[in-house]
Amino acid sequence: MIEAKWKTIFRYVILIAFLVIILLPFYWMFITSFKTDFALGAYPPSLFPVHWTLQHYVEAFTKYGFGTYIRNSVVVSLVSTFLVLTFASMAGFSVAQLPVRGKTPLLVMFLVISMFPAIAIMSPLYMLLRHLNWLNSYQALIIPYTAFNLPFAIWILRNYFLQLPKALLEAARVDGASIFQSFYRIYLPLTTPGMFTAAVFTFVASWTEFFMALTFNQNNSMRTIPVGIALFSGQYTIPYGTIFAGSVVSIVPIILLTILFRKWIVSGLTSGAVKG
Amino acid sequence: MTPQTDAAPTNQRGKVRNKRQSLQAPERRAGYGMLTPSLLVIGAVTLFPILYSMWMSLNHISLTVNGFSMNFAGLQNYSLVIHSETFWHSVWFTFYFAVVTVFLELFLGMLIALAINGIDRLKNVSVVIMLIPWSLITVVSAQMWGYIYNGVYGVLNYLLQSLHLIGAPVTWLGTGTSAVMAMMVADIWKTTPFVVIIILAGLQMVPRDLYESAYLDGANAWHVFWSVTFPMVRGSIALAGLFRILQAFGMFDLPYVLTQGGPGTATESLSILGDRVMFQNLDFGPGSAVAVCTVILVLALSLVFLSAFRNLVREGESE
Repeated sequence: MIEAKWKTIFRYVILIAFLVIILLPFYWMFITSFKTDFALGAYPPSLFPVHWTLQHYVEAFTKYGFGTYIRNSVVVSLVSTFLVLTFASMAGFSVAQLPVRGKTPLLVMFLVISMFPAIAIMSPLYMLLRHLNWLNSYQALIIPYTAFNLPFAIWILRNYFLQLPKALLEAARVDGASIFQSFYRIYLPLTTPGMFTAAVFTFVASWTEFFMALTFNQNNSMRTIPVGIALFSGQYTIPYGTIFAGSVVSIVPIILLTILFRKWIVSGLTSGAVKG
Repeated sequence: MTPQTDAAPTNQRGKVRNKRQSLQAPERRAGYGMLTPSLLVIGAVTLFPILYSMWMSLNHISLTVNGFSMNFAGLQNYSLVIHSETFWHSVWFTFYFAVVTVFLELFLGMLIALAINGIDRLKNVSVVIMLIPWSLITVVSAQMWGYIYNGVYGVLNYLLQSLHLIGAPVTWLGTGTSAVMAMMVADIWKTTPFVVIIILAGLQMVPRDLYESAYLDGANAWHVFWSVTFPMVRGSIALAGLFRILQAFGMFDLPYVLTQGGPGTATESLSILGDRVMFQNLDFGPGSAVAVCTVILVLALSLVFLSAFRNLVREGESE
């Protein structure tokens, strides 16, 4: 069935309009980060910077210590992602290929709990971290980020392990491999796409998380990027130039990730488990 | 998230079963062993704290040098919370913010997905652009909208004035109603692309000849939508909706940065309220009660959404 031409044109108009609406605020943020302080507060605002300046980027790193926030975010997100992949691949293999009782209800319960509002666990976790003297530390964020992202990662990896035949395990066992060796050498390499999906979701979730980072790591030296950007403040005015310079820097790695792992993200979003 | 049935043969009897079990013993042990790290982390950081929150909500709590002390208080914290107007205001705000934004996101997401489905060009670029708001730090998006909405130098006022839609600059975040609406726009902007991607993936599973035969049978566009398209994507919509409700009910980042819950308490979500009571006033007992109420409400709302959605599906089918 061939569509009328005006219908096709209409579809393109909607698509382009939609993409423009998504991108416009980014455009505004991007050019604002290059405007001079004077232009930042001018009304009417100039829709294109007259004088470009890197002043806010320099300030973000020299005056506001944005480098520290980046370091903290990178450490917390990378370690959490690594731990999630390690634990979730073992657990996913176990639920998919080994005879474990009560696994499906358990997994569903974990998935539901991991989507509860964070406020539900804030006070006990805060007390626990305070008691252990772990407030303002990397582990204060790494452990909760690992825990909250594990159920979804297990779910994704379980679906990949389920597609692999159980006969692989039997064959490997006959050849004298232990169960763990079979998992590590034979099954794991076959689930690389699932690992990509789980990794990107965990990384993005850890990179963007704000509530726990704000509550558990209040010291300036332990803040992550979202906390830094939320708490940037000047003496008299909101330093929007610096805020957006930091924001642009924080977006770049995520956009690269999105371009590289586009396929795996979409498959994660639509694999029957929706999580953002 | 429909659990698939696991193919573990548990209903075999007698000797066969015993023999199988002895063969499976090492596998079973390895299975539990490989699950243990995950169980420990999840149990310690999600399950245990949720249960402990419930216990804390039944106690008077005061901070000590390196810990805290608890005195059993029965339902006193809940009584305090339930008799507070601020709490009910928060419940109402969180509820209608979640319902309105999730409904609009699903509705807009469906319309946009239907409109752009079938466009073959620009596919990769579109997907990347639509994923950017999903992966954007909410705090960044809140700062961005705060600057756009600014009453003195915000670009929104400039655009609306150029179009002669408003006479004088408006302080968008200065009054309750406009602040709520401004926040809704920011939320819808960030999440609709995510919904579009999910529905689009569902739409692409619908075989094209299904449409053709439906049109050949003389069905109009509306009928085709209800009897062909909708049944194929309802699973995706239900999941997207459920997930968005869970997320919207825990909303914290956006109001914290954009409005700090204000003006007054106009945009104080349950998480903002809980945070204020616990970590600013250090009232951990009542704060935990707010947290437990939030969980109960979000569970209830999720169940209502799922059953309402099922009814909607049934109506569509009987038409």
